[in-house]
Amino acid sequence: MATVRTREAVRRRSPRAPRSAGEWRTMTLTGLGLLVLVTVHMIANHFVVRSIGGLRDYQQVLAYIANPAIFTIESLFLLFVTVHAMLGLRGVLLDLDPGPRLRRWIDRGLAVLGLATLAYGYFLIGTLASRA
Amino acid sequence: MSGQELPGTERRDDVGPVLRKGVGIPASGWFDPRGRALGGFAFAVNRVTGLGLVVYLYLHLAVLSMLLRGESAWSGFLRLATNWLFLSLDVLLIFGILYHGLNGIRVALVGSGVVPDRQKALWWALGVIGTITLAFSALHIYGSR
Repeated sequence: MATVRTREAVRRRSPRAPRSAGEWRTMTLTGLGLLVLVTVHMIANHFVVRSIGGLRDYQQVLAYIANPAIFTIESLFLLFVTVHAMLGLRGVLLDLDPGPRLRRWIDRGLAVLGLATLAYGYFLIGTLASRA
Repeated sequence: MSGQELPGTERRDDVGPVLRKGVGIPASGWFDPRGRALGGFAFAVNRVTGLGLVVYLYLHLAVLSMLLRGESAWSGFLRLATNWLFLSLDVLLIFGILYHGLNGIRVALVGSGVVPDRQKALWWALGVIGTITLAFSALHIYGSR
């Protein structure tokens, strides 16, 4: 029996095919944003304070996160990194060639994981800022 | 034609060889570095660093949760985090961020068509920038001890 390879079958097997243009654009834009935000985050948390590893003590952390500019930067960083990470994980999982049903569960699972990450992250930042 | 069969006609229905790099790369093929060109190697390392950074994201959130438990919990963590092994993990983290970030710039520039035919040159140029930045960061982190 001859095997007919439809365009859809080829799309489903190709590792890069499931990624839409919108998804690629979101990945790229969040990636570019992260380049700036992660640079600020790493410099602020490793290269500013004169201590071992540049790490802040408890009071310094509270004072740091209570600064409105830092609070905004760290909040944006959390948003960008979560979106970028979930899209990246989705790309890796879709390369395992799941069926349509499993693919829907992957999308739902990553959406829930992303929202939970954001909720916990903002709870953490907000709580620490309120303690300062 | 005079009813003669064309050469190879009897093999027309045979199943051809399954080529690893054709359409339909094996599901786990991306992390196998054997026989890869620079682009494939860069893609595989990009994914490995990306997965590592996702693991680190959740590890980082778990560690920061110690701040919610107060000053003594955080001070206890700082004593642990300032030893040589932990600082080495910081350097490994910076390597992951630098590789993933700089390779991301290369992928964005090539993929968006800004420099579609310079991916090798970009990989090497960004590699030099990344190596210098990593060396500076490692010196700073280890030098703070």
